[in-house]
Amino acid sequence: MTSVFYNPDDGEWFEPLPDNVVIEEHAYLYSSYAFRHCMSDRDPAVRIGHDTCVYANSVFELGPQAEVTIGAYCSIADPTIATNGRVTIGDYCLIGWDSVIADVPWPVPPGSRAGVGGQVNPSPDSEIVLADNVWVGARAILLAGARIGENAVVGAGSVVDFEVPPGMLAAGNPARIVGPIRGLRP
Amino acid sequence: MKDRRTGPRNRRKNVADRRNNSLLDRREWLNQLTGKWDHELLPGNVRIGRDCWLESTGSFGPLASARDPGVVIGDRVSIYGWTQFTVADYALVEVGDDSVLVGPHFMCHSTISIGRRVVISYHVQIVDSDFHPIEPELRRNEAVAITYHGDASRRAPIEAHPITIGDGTWIGAGAMIMKGVTIGAGARIEAGAVVTRDVPAGAYAGGNPARVLGAVAERA
Repeated sequence: MTSVFYNPDDGEWFEPLPDNVVIEEHAYLYSSYAFRHCMSDRDPAVRIGHDTCVYANSVFELGPQAEVTIGAYCSIADPTIATNGRVTIGDYCLIGWDSVIADVPWPVPPGSRAGVGGQVNPSPDSEIVLADNVWVGARAILLAGARIGENAVVGAGSVVDFEVPPGMLAAGNPARIVGPIRGLRP
Repeated sequence: MKDRRTGPRNRRKNVADRRNNSLLDRREWLNQLTGKWDHELLPGNVRIGRDCWLESTGSFGPLASARDPGVVIGDRVSIYGWTQFTVADYALVEVGDDSVLVGPHFMCHSTISIGRRVVISYHVQIVDSDFHPIEPELRRNEAVAITYHGDASRRAPIEAHPITIGDGTWIGAGAMIMKGVTIGAGARIEAGAVVTRDVPAGAYAGGNPARVLGAVAERA
């Protein structure tokens, strides 16, 4: 049986992975196609934790100062991560389909940012942090300033740019803290 | 084996069939995903201005408009691979100079006009029709008509209402611009907004459904 780990020698159909992308052991990445617009100069620019899976339509649209760290045992199901700042994702996180993790509400790929001024081309200080065991629903949007606490859940389609306390469910557009997750031990 | 074709029966007419190509080698195939391909491969009813950058031929795959031109793109426009021009029937999509189209899915049955210097982010849907009737009886007949073996001539007529997006507008990630909407110049549409009504010029709109939350000048 062929392994489903990332295998640059055998399984890669796109160009070679950028040097500053680190993939830890037993992690899966569909293809370096996810980094086709990655312009980060950081070292490392992207760290994918061990046993994490980054699926086919995930894409990392990173500016020169961007840095993305993804923890272990995560399922990264096709988000668009577009930032020139920092994105930190903890362990055991589930990131839903077509979600967007971006530093501004109107992200564009890094190659176009210079041509569009103002808020579309922000400073690299923005930060988005997800603690361990966070579940981000499908088509949710996390913007700069989003800090999702441990065990929290972000509902599908929500737009979150604030702090979500641990163990809480945040949902809606605009998003609100709906209440604690059921079944969570106090 | 019977040739299975999905989708509507009205295939594009009067445009060159781009798919009649010899086998592409790997480099050519990758070029068609990374913006290095020959614009001669575009359908005949697409007009492109000067100095445009088109990332992928796939953006024009769903183009099925019989109108010539069916898509008009201005000068210095960047169109990234997630963009889809699903333009049917006799419809037209126009994009103004200096715009950046990252990921709009145009679903056009009439006219969609994008102004100059417009920035459209990822996962945006710009849909100028409901495509199906809302009345339950008509909808049931429609469901039967649109099945693969259904009689497409029994479909309800598609009511489309043009969409206009003014100069200098920024449309946030995940937004949806629905039928008949006019967005004034300089407006900002928040991420995830579902815009069902007109947005005045210089307004900042967001939410589902979208409401005007303020003026762009105040929030900058």
